Amino acid sequence: MSAQVRVVSGGLSTTVQDLGRTGRYAIGMPPSGAMDQYSFRVANLLVGNPEGAAALEATYIGPSLEFTDDRLVAVTGGDAAVTLNGEPIPMWSSTQVRSGDVLAFGMITSGARPYIAVSGGIAVPEYLGSRSTYTLIGLGGHEGRTLADGDVLPLGDGSTGEAGAVVPDELVPQFPSDIDVRAVVGLCSYRLTEAALESFLSTPWRITKDADRVGYRLRGGTLDFVEREQPFGAGSDPANVVDLGYPLGSIQVPGGDEPIVLLGDAVTGGGYVTIATVISVDRDLFGQAKTGDTIRFRDVGIDEALAARADRNRRLDRIRSALA
Amino acid sequence: MSQPVQLPPARYEHGGDEFIFVEIAEEMSMEANIKATLITQELESRQMSGLVDICPSNASYLVRFDPDVIPPADLMALLKDLEGRFQEVPEGFTLQTRVVDVPVLYNDPWTHEAMMRFRDRHQDPESTDLEYGARTNGFDSVEAFIEHLAGNPWIVTMLGFVPGLPFCYQLEPRERQVQVPKYVRPRTFTPERAFGIGGAFSVVYPVQGAGGYQLYGMSATPVLNVRQDHPDFAHSIVFPGAGDILRYRSVDRTEFDDTRREVEAGTFRYRQHDVEFSPAAFLDDPQGVNDRLLEVLYR
Amino acid sequence: MPTIPSPLPGVFYRRPAPDQDPYVNEGDQVTEGQTIGLIEVMKNFSELKATAGGTVKEFLVEDESDVSVGQDVAVLE
Repeated sequence: MSAQVRVVSGGLSTTVQDLGRTGRYAIGMPPSGAMDQYSFRVANLLVGNPEGAAALEATYIGPSLEFTDDRLVAVTGGDAAVTLNGEPIPMWSSTQVRSGDVLAFGMITSGARPYIAVSGGIAVPEYLGSRSTYTLIGLGGHEGRTLADGDVLPLGDGSTGEAGAVVPDELVPQFPSDIDVRAVVGLCSYRLTEAALESFLSTPWRITKDADRVGYRLRGGTLDFVEREQPFGAGSDPANVVDLGYPLGSIQVPGGDEPIVLLGDAVTGGGYVTIATVISVDRDLFGQAKTGDTIRFRDVGIDEALAARADRNRRLDRIRSALA
Repeated sequence: MSQPVQLPPARYEHGGDEFIFVEIAEEMSMEANIKATLITQELESRQMSGLVDICPSNASYLVRFDPDVIPPADLMALLKDLEGRFQEVPEGFTLQTRVVDVPVLYNDPWTHEAMMRFRDRHQDPESTDLEYGARTNGFDSVEAFIEHLAGNPWIVTMLGFVPGLPFCYQLEPRERQVQVPKYVRPRTFTPERAFGIGGAFSVVYPVQGAGGYQLYGMSATPVLNVRQDHPDFAHSIVFPGAGDILRYRSVDRTEFDDTRREVEAGTFRYRQHDVEFSPAAFLDDPQGVNDRLLEVLYR
Repeated sequence: MPTIPSPLPGVFYRRPAPDQDPYVNEGDQVTEGQTIGLIEVMKNFSELKATAGGTVKEFLVEDESDVSVGQDVAVLE
């Protein structure tokens, strides 16, 4: 029998993800992939996998998983009490599991999405070059859907590295429920009045219950549009533009009162005004942001976005060398 | 002959550190779409490493890139340079494309039911989407409105939202094109294969899901086939491509049901024909070009 | 006194549907594992279950209002 992991319970919304299915935005295919790419990569590094190996992304309520052979596992991302056969095990470190062992999750205490990497990776078939699940269309991952009780997932050939690898404390991210997000204001921000743009940046936005892998819908204020005669083809509502591409992380404001931040399973384009784009590093913050959390946006330039990217790369490099 | 559209200078915006958004024009025109097409085709042909996605859109385009490979400033400079090279559509420019028959049941029960569930998100909760569109565009009846939508073909000017969704621009002079707003707040449900319009664009929704377009009918045939088990999807999971010319022909319930059975059985083939489309010829004589396109399609 | 915390953030509902009766009322007896409400998040409705048996003394979260992870929804005695 080939190696597998049995899904005893699927949790609330657990999917197989990797770094994403990039390069098909032009047909309307978002990349999907891990919402918090930093935590995802670290989970793989801990068990000796390539950083892009497929792993599990849980949301709020983690799965419980039974193993059928010897493996290394690591849990990173959103904080929860993780147990192996009922005994607590640490996150952000690698743990040896044996056939019959059961990994389970308690209630999440901070963040939103734990990542579970298993040495050898989750060996579901690739779809268009990726194992990421895109549930909106029902493709990739395990049968294109979230995991259900009783599912069986194939595992790849695992290196049998040493258990006990630990990520240095200062490289473990914190997930506060009051979140500062850096965004580059632009795209169609000219559609907002100056006061509305200021209000966008000063409002503490609350994450609504409509916050999933496609996007996070926020509430907390109303943004006014500059009055104009609508350009041909846009439609007459002031929030309408001629349909255009939406960058990942872009923030749109249909109606002006509910900004939506588009994430890994983003819709790739449409006809609502976009006003800013979350910088790539800070898209990870949404992976760990919960319904009810508060978001504040800070306008940054492209140089600060690139500096944040370089900083993240350095932190990953330190983990790579610490775990090598 | 319609007045040629003078395009403004394009607007360049950083979409965070990984995207650049280029707005050719705020308003839609054939000219803006062709300029976006020409620039993105040129970019595509260069096969630059670090360029992840090149997405032509209606009157704009979007690129995704890896800023660790291409510095954003360099890419920005290149895109501006390309704009300079495509100020004018080259003399004699034509699109090698195809014209396709898409059977649509207008005023169908499924989109009607969906639309009625979301009246509170609509501009005019008292009307249906079709009644609203007919009235605001000056048609005497829903039937006359449908006849107009189903009459002349549409050209695909963007793919996106979800995989395979074609945004289509009707091949009509501007004064004959219909326009409707998107819903005030998007619906959380739209049936698979719903046909709708928002702004000046028609779409077919590939899958069930959220949506903000006015709902007018149901396509009998798919635009997305994830398993690629239909013959028309052998080469790609999506059927429409940018530049395709689609005719959303009005069919009755019998033909719709027959077509659905063929689709379910995997035997359906789209009626289609290769054509050369000249935007200049179209702008010069829209109805003449449309008549020839339909003549080729149904000959 | 034991409490029933929400394992999820979202919106708490005391009824299975708007036109139906609440799952349980204050003063009702519940058994461990019995559904006492729903939590809606990400278009999912998850059943909130009693973590112990007892009498429902009080609901601490109003019907159709926001709830955060770990927040106590009801008190048992």
